[in-house]
Amino acid sequence: MFIHNFKYALKTLFRNKMLIFWTFAFPIILGTFFNMAFSNIENSEKLDIINIAIVNNEEFNDSKIWMETFKTLSDEENEDRLFSTKYVTMDEAERLLQDGEIVGYMVLEEEKPNLVFATSGIDQTIFKQVTEEIVQTSEMVSNLAEDEIKKEMMAGNYHIDYEKIYKDVLEVAKNQEAKINNISRSNLSYTMIEFYTLIAMTCLYGGILGMVAINQNLANMSSQGKRVSVAPTSKGKVVLSSMLAGYITQLVGLALLFIYTIFVLKVDYGTNLPLIILLGAVGSFAGLSMGLLIGTVLKAGEALKTGIMISVTMLGCFLSGMMGITMKYIVDKNVPIINKINPASMITDGFYALYYYDTLDRYFFNIASLAIFAIIAMAISYICLRRQKYDSI
Amino acid sequence: MTVFKTFLKVLNKAKAPIIMYTVFLIFFAGFNMQTTDNSTNFVASKPDILMINEDIEEGITKNLIDYISNNSNIVEIEENQEAIDDALFYRDVNYIVYIPQNYRQDFLAGKNPEINIKSTGDYQSSLANMLLERYIKVANIYQKRITSEDELIAKINDTLEKQTRVEITSKLDTNQLSKATFYYNFANYSILAGCVYVLCLILSSFKEEKIAKRTIISSMNYKAHNRKLLLSNSVFAFILWGSYVLLSFVLVGDIMFTMHGVSYILNSFIFTICALTIAFLIGNLVTNKNAINGIINVVALGSSFLCGAFVPMEWLPDTVLKIAHILPSYYYIKNNELLKGLEAINFETMHEIIINMGIMLLFAVGFTIITNIVAKRKRKMG
Repeated sequence: MFIHNFKYALKTLFRNKMLIFWTFAFPIILGTFFNMAFSNIENSEKLDIINIAIVNNEEFNDSKIWMETFKTLSDEENEDRLFSTKYVTMDEAERLLQDGEIVGYMVLEEEKPNLVFATSGIDQTIFKQVTEEIVQTSEMVSNLAEDEIKKEMMAGNYHIDYEKIYKDVLEVAKNQEAKINNISRSNLSYTMIEFYTLIAMTCLYGGILGMVAINQNLANMSSQGKRVSVAPTSKGKVVLSSMLAGYITQLVGLALLFIYTIFVLKVDYGTNLPLIILLGAVGSFAGLSMGLLIGTVLKAGEALKTGIMISVTMLGCFLSGMMGITMKYIVDKNVPIINKINPASMITDGFYALYYYDTLDRYFFNIASLAIFAIIAMAISYICLRRQKYDSI
Repeated sequence: MTVFKTFLKVLNKAKAPIIMYTVFLIFFAGFNMQTTDNSTNFVASKPDILMINEDIEEGITKNLIDYISNNSNIVEIEENQEAIDDALFYRDVNYIVYIPQNYRQDFLAGKNPEINIKSTGDYQSSLANMLLERYIKVANIYQKRITSEDELIAKINDTLEKQTRVEITSKLDTNQLSKATFYYNFANYSILAGCVYVLCLILSSFKEEKIAKRTIISSMNYKAHNRKLLLSNSVFAFILWGSYVLLSFVLVGDIMFTMHGVSYILNSFIFTICALTIAFLIGNLVTNKNAINGIINVVALGSSFLCGAFVPMEWLPDTVLKIAHILPSYYYIKNNELLKGLEAINFETMHEIIINMGIMLLFAVGFTIITNIVAKRKRKMG
């Protein structure tokens, strides 16, 4: 009987083309959109070459330190290249700025740089910082050289080699290196969260399949359900086999999404494949039990049940960062309890933990939370399902 | 009139989900608005930095912290490794500086102690890195010559205080304009999703087999019927548009009362017409209520993602933008982006914008024609 019902539940699910299409294809389509929209976003946040102009008046051409610095910083072979610099006249610089070809230009007047920008912004701030650094360095060098000269004079030495002092000081200034050691992790690509929420959505959305399968056995949902209810078969067998059919269909959809995101969209789930599969399976199970819960507890039509299932899923995904990646962080930081009971967030956080952290504590905490969520949902559904009686339908 | 009355009846029946959905969409846009200070003076960008000091906050260590604090937004996060790592991943902080134990002593002894940092690797963190590097370099150089700590600090601060003079040419309030653009770009999703959802809901009642059959055999021409339906539905679309515009006065601010604001409103009005015809076409094509939800998401989310309603256009890959040319949303969003950069509004500068509006209207006409063709074909029922 178990296998019989299982077979037919599976068949009816796969024949429901509209349902299968939306549960299987929708995440894939959405994932494609995400990929199109976000594929460039992290690159564009990295420091780009900044287009600037410098008015090449006499003063600039005479000043070695300014010329040299901007030459090095605009050198195409320099790894730390910051600028693409045009050396132009004042009128030309104004025109370039107006056309938006440069972020700003610099005029050197009386040894002081004057900057002209169209608006404020980060590129402009960096340009400003660089000019300040040059001013500060040259001031520092002359300060120190003066001190040296004073010292020499105090020592009674009047044959001072000015050239040499300047050179020495400049040498010291040049060879200073700040020892800064970057210890951040390499997996910092936050757009991955979008794809993790997508997986979470698919896991939970898939609960609809389980719900549809169960609905066929409920006497108040269809005439088929009435027939199943009066049949002399144990309720447990029927419900379990329908759920298994729903679960398997769900896993097929999830597997398709995984294959698509890994091979086509190049989503990085971390390296631990068995754990990724485990999370997907447990997540789907949580989705299934949520579908079962909504399907059995609510006495309503199928459309309303589906509507509620979708809204709950979407709300969960919203809170775990689907519509704005930082949402999950904001919730975690301010009202952590919400994401502790939100299965979408548990799934997303599980993938995030696998991707970003070296340790597995956080991952297993999420797996355990999902399992607890599923067990509670199952238990409630079990209580509602058993000994169900209808006075009239 | 009969059609309009029926339309109102159906609308009234389904008012609960429609109002909920509409309010949700409009507020969603409101929630997404960022609040930024507005100013036409130069404002230096400040990275978000977290300072973790394991040394005693005195002398040179304190001075370093003060310097970084003055040039950045200091973020406070609880001292917990996981919380800090999470903050970095979600860009709550761009740059984390770990000042090691005995930094002050080691520095004064000329050991040039190493500082650990964590960085997100984006623009802001590069800026933060520049700040830190500059301070350390200046401090190191002076340290070689000056032994007294107080004098050293005074010298460092004196040098780092030197600022470059900056002039800003644009008289535009770019902040409010980008706000307006952001808000109206988001309208692409709200208006499209709202129109498709409501029209499909209403049209599916008109398309119910018995009702559809009665309409077909009535004396009314199918084109006239479609036209009346479209006009009735436009009432809803314009209410949606109107509330969106009203909210923009509150959220965006004064700029909505200028010529720029009028242009944004006009642009969104034309887009609403276009969205209405798209929704009308979909409503005529799709009669399966189960499919409506999926289609709304694909159409509204799809065109929003492809055309840059959520992610700014300049960040989208070129190929995506090329594909986006076939969607009306592209021209709508393009117009919003163009408006953001316009110094003055006159016929010459508006040229491209007017062309884009024309393209949107052409789309609308095209969709209406297709709808009529579809409706004609669908009249034959078994």
